Formats: sequence, structure tokens, C-alpha cells
Amino acid sequence: MSRPVKDHEILSAVFAKMDAVAMTVALGALCSLLLFLATAVLLVQASPDSYFVGEHLRDLSDYLPGYSVSWMGAGIGAGYGLLLGGIAGFLVAVYWNLTHYFALGVMLISSAELAD
Amino acid sequence: MKAMNRDADHVNFKLLEAAIRFNARILGLTAGTLAAAVIYIATQASIVKWGGDSGGYLELLAIFFPGYSVSSTGAWVGAFWAFIYCGTGSWLSYRVYGKVLGARISGLLLSPGSTMNPVLKPSTLRLHGVSLGIAIGAIAGLGLFASTAWLVIRGTAGESVHAALFSNYIPGYSVSIFGGLWGAIELFGLVFLSCLLLATVYNRLVEMRHKTP
Repeated sequence: MSRPVKDHEILSAVFAKMDAVAMTVALGALCSLLLFLATAVLLVQASPDSYFVGEHLRDLSDYLPGYSVSWMGAGIGAGYGLLLGGIAGFLVAVYWNLTHYFALGVMLISSAELAD
Repeated sequence: MKAMNRDADHVNFKLLEAAIRFNARILGLTAGTLAAAVIYIATQASIVKWGGDSGGYLELLAIFFPGYSVSSTGAWVGAFWAFIYCGTGSWLSYRVYGKVLGARISGLLLSPGSTMNPVLKPSTLRLHGVSLGIAIGAIAGLGLFASTAWLVIRGTAGESVHAALFSNYIPGYSVSIFGGLWGAIELFGLVFLSCLLLATVYNRLVEMRHKTP
């Protein structure tokens, strides 16, 4: 049988803050890996010599200068994935924490008004 | 909720349910706003870079975002739809995450039980990879199936060459009801694994950074 879960533990879980650095690195690493794999999957697939591999994915270079569907491009894409995923992770963590603080502030003000 | 927590005695389910509802709304707001910002910036960047020739792949979003176009007004319409889709998806994801996690949510804190004042001295959040994978994987799979079904219903499945490219990453996927179903199952698996990886890296870093000597 598990131990009883106290109310303050549930509240702690609700108001727990996200670690911005950890989320930056974790999401950056995941996006880096995904973009690398997305390119690599196309490169390792068997295709006729005349077939132009990654016709559509290469258009990512419109937004990610230097990217291409090649092994070198996969490495460059991984770098972009790390950067963009990291920025997204940082924003998610910061925004998550800020909205919690904001909601908390609203709740504290509301309860203070009710007490008056 | 109670059915998922049979082994958890003396849990304030009302508080737990309220906690999950609260965080689901916060996540919906967070993800929705970020998605809206991404669509708005991508549309504006496309206009700045290509001017009158802008469009291309972004224009395809109009299939799912009624009224969207690669224009200044369209950027706002796209932001609105991105907020709705991503906000709803994230809200739903957290609801599923909370349901799967149940009373174990309190065990995810870095130091459970040590934070007596959770409001003024918050603990650090950790992620439960399996619950996260089930939640986000299910919503992603559902999203892919719904998108595919929409293409079939509107009668443009045969022309959806770009959607068909998913088969490069999801073997067996096709723009059909059965292909969408199969793709949804495979995408669930891929997202599940990604979430496990994300949670593992995040939790490891949190433990390293907050390790007390």
C-alpha cells in the first residue's frame, strides 16, 4: 500500500517550477536528433541514381541557411535543431513558470479581496 | 480518476482533479501562444523574404486553417488557428497525462514532501516519461488520423502529394482512412519514444543541477 498523499504535495506538484536550463538542453537535444534522423532516413533509403533525394525536405534551407539533404546537411540540421529546440524549450519553461506566477498572483489578490 | 488510483489511500481527489484542470489550462495557454507566435513569424518571414511570390508550403495550411493565406491578415488568422489547435491539443494532452499519472503526480517532485510552502517556495518539476509519451503520443496520433480523414472527406486525398511524403518516416502510411489509422499507431510509437528520451534527459539534468551535497 502506498503512503497517503498530502494536500500540500499535490499543491507542490501544481506549482512546481520547470527547470529552464534542463528543458532547454533536453528539447534542444531531442530536436537535434530528430532533424538529423529526418535527413538520415532519406539518405539511407535505396533510390535510383537519377532520383533527386529530399526534394521537399531541402526546402528547409529557406529557413535554415546552409541546410541540405546530405550528411553534411544532416550535421548542420542537427545544429539548427539544437538551437531552435533549445530556444523553444527555454520559452516553454519560462512561459510555463510565468503563467503559474501570474495565476498565483491573481488567486492571492482574489482571496485577499474575499477576506476583506 | 479514483479507478486509476486504487492503491492511493487518503488522496484528496477533488484537489487532484482541480490541480490537473489548472495545469491543463496553463499548458494550453502556453503551447497555444507559442504556436501562434511561430505561425505568425513564419508567415511574416515568408512575406519579407519572397514578397509577392511568398506562399509555397505555408499556403497548404489553408486546408486546415480556414481563411489563412500568406499575407499580413493571413498571419493573424494563422496565429488564431494555431492557438486553437495547439492550445486544445496541449490542454487535452495534460488532461490525459494527469489521468494516467493520477496520485503519482506528487512523487514527481524533486524532493517530495519537503516543500511545506508550495506557493512561496516551489519545488522543481520532473517529468514522467511513460505518462507523457502516452498523452502526447495519443494526441499526435489522433491529430494525424483526423488530418488524414479530413483530406479524404474533402475529396483531395489523391492530390495530397505532400501528406503522402509522411510514408518516408512512417512506413505504410497513405492518405486514406486505413493509412491514417496505421500512421496514427506508428506515430504514437515514435512520439512515445521521443517523450521517454525527453523526460530522461530533463530529469537527469534536474537531478544533477539540484543535487544537494
